[in-house]
Amino acid sequence: MEWKDVIPVLAGGFVILVVALVVKPALLGEPIGFSSSGPVPIPAPPVYVPPEPSPTATPFPEDGEVCTRTFRWTAIDGGVQTMQVRVPEVLFLEHRETPRIGDRLAWGRYAIADADRPILEDLARRIAPPAANPEEQYFRLMDLVFFVQQIPYAPDNSTDSYIEGVLPRHARQVAGGVEYQKYPVEMLVDGKGDCEDAAILMGGLLDALGYDTVLLGYSDHMALGIRMEGFNPYYAKYTPKYFTYEGQHYYYVEGTAFTRENLSTTSPVIRGRPFPIGNTQGSPIPSVKSETPQVIPLRCIPTPEDYRIRPVRLPAKGA
Amino acid sequence: MDLKIPNLPKVAIGWRKALIAVGVAAFVVAVAFIGWTLFTAYTEERQVAAFGSHVAASEADLSRVSGMVSSHLGSRPDRPSVAGADASMREFAAIAEHGRAVAAYHRGIIGADAVPEAYAGAQSAYIRALDHLNRAFSLWSSAAAAYDANAYTAAKENLARADQEWREYVTAIGDYDRELRAAEEGGEAPPA
Repeated sequence: MEWKDVIPVLAGGFVILVVALVVKPALLGEPIGFSSSGPVPIPAPPVYVPPEPSPTATPFPEDGEVCTRTFRWTAIDGGVQTMQVRVPEVLFLEHRETPRIGDRLAWGRYAIADADRPILEDLARRIAPPAANPEEQYFRLMDLVFFVQQIPYAPDNSTDSYIEGVLPRHARQVAGGVEYQKYPVEMLVDGKGDCEDAAILMGGLLDALGYDTVLLGYSDHMALGIRMEGFNPYYAKYTPKYFTYEGQHYYYVEGTAFTRENLSTTSPVIRGRPFPIGNTQGSPIPSVKSETPQVIPLRCIPTPEDYRIRPVRLPAKGA
Repeated sequence: MDLKIPNLPKVAIGWRKALIAVGVAAFVVAVAFIGWTLFTAYTEERQVAAFGSHVAASEADLSRVSGMVSSHLGSRPDRPSVAGADASMREFAAIAEHGRAVAAYHRGIIGADAVPEAYAGAQSAYIRALDHLNRAFSLWSSAAAAYDANAYTAAKENLARADQEWREYVTAIGDYDRELRAAEEGGEAPPA
C-alpha cells in the first residue's frame, strides 16, 4: 500500500468534516465550527410599556348654578330635622348625560362616584357627626339610614321620579319596565328614587363615613349590606339577617321602607318607624324573605387567585 | 464484431500489504466511529446547553413579570376611589400585556430549539407551560378590557378562566421537572 492509496481516504474524511462543521450549520443557521461553547445569544425580550396616565378631572366651578334641595326627616330620637343639600347643576346635568351601566355587578361605581364624593362627605358629616362612644355612633349611623329611608319612593318608569318630568334619555328599557340607576346626587336633586337609587345613595353616604358596605341585589329589589362586628342592637326583637362575602358579615339594610304611626293609641303625635338594620322579616317584599341576594361590592376590582411564577430546575448537562 | 479485450495486469498482493490495508481500513473506521460519537455527544451537549440557557432567560423574564404583578397587587389601596381603581386596572392591563408578550417571545425561542430526543419531553412540557401562561395573561387583558367597559361579570369570568390556565401552568411545570429528571437520570418519566 502506498500514499496514493491513503489520500482518497483522507480526502473523504475531510469532505465529511467540511459537511458536518460548515455546510450543515450554514444550512440550519447554526454557529459554524467548534466555536460555540458559550450560551447562545438571545435577542432582547419585549419591553414593559406603562399605561398612559389618565387626565385629572376638571373641578366644577364654585360660582356656577346650584340645585338646592331641603329635606325634612325624622331622626331616631323622634325629632324632625331639616337638611339642605347643594349640588352644582353642571354635575347633575353631566350625570344625566352619562350612559347607564347594564351590568349590575358594576353599580357600586355610582355609590362611590368621585364627583359626588365631596357632597356626600359633607352631608354624611352633618347627619352623623363624629361620636364619642359606640352607642352614640350607632344612633348617628341609624340617623343616616333613616334619612335615606324617608326620601320618597318613585319607580324608574314614573316621570314623577325626575325633576324634568320626563324619562332621562339614558333610561334603559328592560324586561319588566324601565331601568335607570341614579347617581347619589341625582337622587338628592330629584328628591325621589327607587330601591337601587336608595341603596346606592345610602352606600355612598356610609362609605364616605368609612363604613364597609355592599349592595344586595335581589331579582326584583335592591338593598344595602353593612359590615358590622358583633352586631347587637338593644332593641332587636328579631334574628338579624346577614350575608357573608369574603369572610365578612354584611347586615341587611332596607333603603326605601319607612312607615309612620301614632306615638300611642291616644296620642295624635306621629312618629316614623324605620326598618332597623338586619330586619328582613318585616319586609313587604317576598324576594327579600326567600332569596339569597347577589352581593355587589362598591369596589369590585378583579384580582387573580394566583400569579406566582414557579421556579424551575435548569438542565445540568451542558450547563 | 471483433471485440478486443485488453489484458489486465495480474494483481499480486502479498500478505504484508494486505494486513497493512486491513489495518488502515480498521483505523479509519475506528477514527470515524469515535469521531462521530464525540461529535454527536458534543452536538447534544450544545443543544442541551442552548435549551438550558433559553429556559434560564425565560425564567428570569417571567420572574420579573411576577415581581411586577406582586408589587402592583400589593400596592393596591384598600378603599380606592373610582379613578384610583380604574388607574390600577389600567396598570394591571399593561402588566398582563407585557406578560403575554414575554411568554409568547420565549415560547417562540424555546419551541425552535433542537434538543436530544431524551429532552423532547421536558421541552414539550415547558412549551405547554408557556402556552398556559400566555393564555392566562391574555385572559387578564380581556378581564381588564371588560372592566374598562363596566362589564364586571365578564371581567370576573375571564379571571376565573385565567386562574384555571394558571393551575394548568403549574401542572405543566411539574411535568417539566419530571421529564427533565428522567432525561438526566435515564429511563421513563414517572407518572404525574
